[in-house]
Amino acid sequence: MQNITIYIDDKKLEVESGKTILEVCRNNNIEILTMCHLEGVLDVGACRLCLVEIEGVNKLLSACTTKVAANMVIRTSTERIKRYQRITTELLFAERNHMCSVCVANGKCELQNLGYKVEMDSIRYPRLFPQCEVDTSHSWYVLDHNRCIMCTRCVRVCSEVEGAFNWSVKNRGYQVRIISDFNTPWGESTTCTSCGKCLHACPTGALWPKAIVQGQLDKKPEIIEELMAKRKMGL
Amino acid sequence: MNRNDLKVISEKAKEKHKKYKHKICVCCGAGCISSGSEGVLLKLQKEIVERGLQNEVEVIPTGCMGPCNQGPLVKYLPENTIYQKVDCENISQIVQSQIVEKKPIEDLLLFSDFHPKPFINAHDDPFFKKQLKIALKDCGDINPEEVEDYLAYDGYLALGKVLFQMSPEDVIAEIKHSRLRGRGGAGFPTGLKWETVYKYVSEEKYVICNGDEGDPGAFMDRSVLEGNPHRVIEGMAIAGYAVGANKGFAYIRGEYPLAIKRFEQAIKQAKKNGLLGNKILGSEFSFDIEVRIGAGAFVCGEETALIASIEGKRGTPKPRPPFPAESGLRGKPTLINNVETFASIVPILNNGGEWYSEIGTPKSAGTKVFALAGKINYSGLIEVPMGTSLREIVFELGGGIQGGGEFKAAQTGGPSGGCIPAKHLDVKMDYESLMSLGSIMGSGGLIVMDEKSDMVDVARYFMEFCMDESCGKCVPCRVGTKMMHDLLQKIYDGKGTSIDLERLEELAIYVKETSLCGLGASAPNPLQSTLRHFREEYESKIEQDID
Amino acid sequence: MDSKKKIATVCLGGCSGCHMSILDIDERILDVAKLADIVKSPIVDGKEFPEGVDIAIVEGSVTSDEHWHEIKLIRKRSKFIVALGDCAVMTNVTGMRNYFPLQEVIDEAYKNSVSNDAEGAEPNDPALLKLHDKVVPLQEVVKVDFIIPGCPPSADTIFYVLFEFLNNRIPNLSEVNKLKYG
Repeated sequence: MQNITIYIDDKKLEVESGKTILEVCRNNNIEILTMCHLEGVLDVGACRLCLVEIEGVNKLLSACTTKVAANMVIRTSTERIKRYQRITTELLFAERNHMCSVCVANGKCELQNLGYKVEMDSIRYPRLFPQCEVDTSHSWYVLDHNRCIMCTRCVRVCSEVEGAFNWSVKNRGYQVRIISDFNTPWGESTTCTSCGKCLHACPTGALWPKAIVQGQLDKKPEIIEELMAKRKMGL
Repeated sequence: MNRNDLKVISEKAKEKHKKYKHKICVCCGAGCISSGSEGVLLKLQKEIVERGLQNEVEVIPTGCMGPCNQGPLVKYLPENTIYQKVDCENISQIVQSQIVEKKPIEDLLLFSDFHPKPFINAHDDPFFKKQLKIALKDCGDINPEEVEDYLAYDGYLALGKVLFQMSPEDVIAEIKHSRLRGRGGAGFPTGLKWETVYKYVSEEKYVICNGDEGDPGAFMDRSVLEGNPHRVIEGMAIAGYAVGANKGFAYIRGEYPLAIKRFEQAIKQAKKNGLLGNKILGSEFSFDIEVRIGAGAFVCGEETALIASIEGKRGTPKPRPPFPAESGLRGKPTLINNVETFASIVPILNNGGEWYSEIGTPKSAGTKVFALAGKINYSGLIEVPMGTSLREIVFELGGGIQGGGEFKAAQTGGPSGGCIPAKHLDVKMDYESLMSLGSIMGSGGLIVMDEKSDMVDVARYFMEFCMDESCGKCVPCRVGTKMMHDLLQKIYDGKGTSIDLERLEELAIYVKETSLCGLGASAPNPLQSTLRHFREEYESKIEQDID
Repeated sequence: MDSKKKIATVCLGGCSGCHMSILDIDERILDVAKLADIVKSPIVDGKEFPEGVDIAIVEGSVTSDEHWHEIKLIRKRSKFIVALGDCAVMTNVTGMRNYFPLQEVIDEAYKNSVSNDAEGAEPNDPALLKLHDKVVPLQEVVKVDFIIPGCPPSADTIFYVLFEFLNNRIPNLSEVNKLKYG
């Protein structure tokens, strides 16, 4: 891999080519907000929080899927990007029923943290209040669509890491939902191995183990990365 | 069949046509079929046999002739007399009068319900006179179900020429010279796209024909696929030769059963005659096409989503770069063009890029097919040179507004486009001019609205379409379109506030700039353009304000 | 004494938890009292919302006719409205009925559940407030000047905001890491 020079937020950096903008930023302690990115699984560029401005490109590009190129001039925190990050966060909150005070993930939720980071004090858009199911059919785990932000981290972990392909997505638009197998209750899944990786991958209180109450959830999304790193080393 | 056989067969087919004195074409496009043209065709064939005229009169089903809402249409050649709204009762009258007595029937002539004196040669009517048919050439004259018919119209000669006399570089240079731009909507230079795919080195490459035409009110691609499928096949094979691909996919939406049937049939005929498959026309080039049927998702018209769909995955788009030209179907370099683009390839190679580049405007060369719909007198399919003004299209070709109403606006580009108000009626229909008015060329849907149309409702309708058709992958499009739709509904219901209007404007820019694919990026267009041209309609609906 | 600001606190569709949190300011209420008078509050007597209020701190969302009129009146009579707590800001728990039709919610509460009242009777006293179909946060009805999310916001946060305002400074929750939901 050869080294190339790029500029991020007016800082000159020597980086390896072939890396994504997100990787480079994380290696250089430049904060990029993300929701759908999870270390250890492939990126899909769905949450649009990691959008960056690149000189000479008339579109905003997602840092997680765009590779650095020589002499790229990247801006990660312009006023426009900050404004869009806040709107994205507000839309995520407005979309489903995120009632933090009664959520198992309260205090340990990536969505909450995102809200604090973009300084969201209220949701300026009318909330949608969709009627969402809570699937409690699995003996140990719960899927609560009210809290799901459709980052599809669970889908990718299940297929790419566990290889079980239990999770997928149904419907279109704002009616998309995570489904187990062919839209059957999770407890009846013939593919789920009950490994629990999706619970750790989930950034919110959408997937959680039974027998815990509000605020008790302890997610460790980093285990996916550790697992994949070990696997790469052949351990 | 090798190249020489092709010429022989072509001549033979021409001979066969020459032996008839009369030719009657019955439009069997989906539009005319829905108004009963298949019955008309059967009755006509029977009538001809009963009168013993089968050696004098050739009766064939054809693709779309254009004036779809006047169907079923029956065309009499060589005089080019078109009869409209023909039903089985009229058949013997037509045969008696036109064939036997050689007298046209005035009451049945095309547009006789609009003109006091309709034209006997339909091509004298402004509807046809102002048109220049390149992509649609032969559509409406040939039988789309017979490869011989296509060959009689010099079909596959361009492919033969390309395979034996031109290198891939020559073909690309010719296309570049023609300045043809992608007819799917964005208007990317076709030659440049071909060249990009050509330059990537790969064992496997693919050519994809995008026939997932999803815009409400648009039926250009359907008509081409139904009316002249071999033209598209030939265009795809030439593209395959030019970029170095041996495999093509035609992605056709499932709502077009007739187009699928005719296209699949055409592929079979082409294969049988050595026009597709291994060593085409005896050359070293092999090319095969498979049909993939879309399941009704609008987003699958977006190239990366379409590729995902062909791969058997959920039809959701992927961030670009990498572009399909670099990493497309199965990660291989892939060329995706629209049906109309492929249909324009053959005439360019037959007549030269120079010829094509001289048609239209300096930046937008060639012709564009438009599907006229809405409150216009003659709805249907037209093809005009780029740069024809909207006024000409609506008032000359289109015959004006229904019921003598007043023109209010025209929506171009469907749910991804914008509206053009009356004061811009003289806008030239080309990529740049439409863009400067906040609209887009799109795939060619043109919906005309009269003074009774409520522009807030128009914006709401298109937003609802985008909201339902969003794939749900990225946040701005998934939630943003729903939010904008709800706010538009609120304003339409008279419950909106000025803050809602501000929110709408902010969201529109946000969704446009942050969405993952073109669906989201263009979903706010109808909203923004109606706000730009008809803001007073929004403001008149806002009564209360938050104090 | 005239320089003293007038503060009012109101509870609309909320659980009064935010007011509990106000009480948790404890002895710091004396610092507030030096700079302001509390002219209306659930803990102060007085029925109607007074005129000339400087800062109105409003807990809870707008769930009914009564709340709607009340918040409109508050807006008219106060210079500054602070939305206090998740319910006022984004409906929170009170909004959890929004995904069901109102009648279903009422039936569930009064008819289908076990009760020691007259079985299945829906309360219909004319004095009762009339519920709206959907619960909305304050900013959907009136202009809100400052927002404190949290369920409930901590006493520290409330005191910080009050104290800044009373000293004619504009508080910033993010800056002092006091932004919190739930």
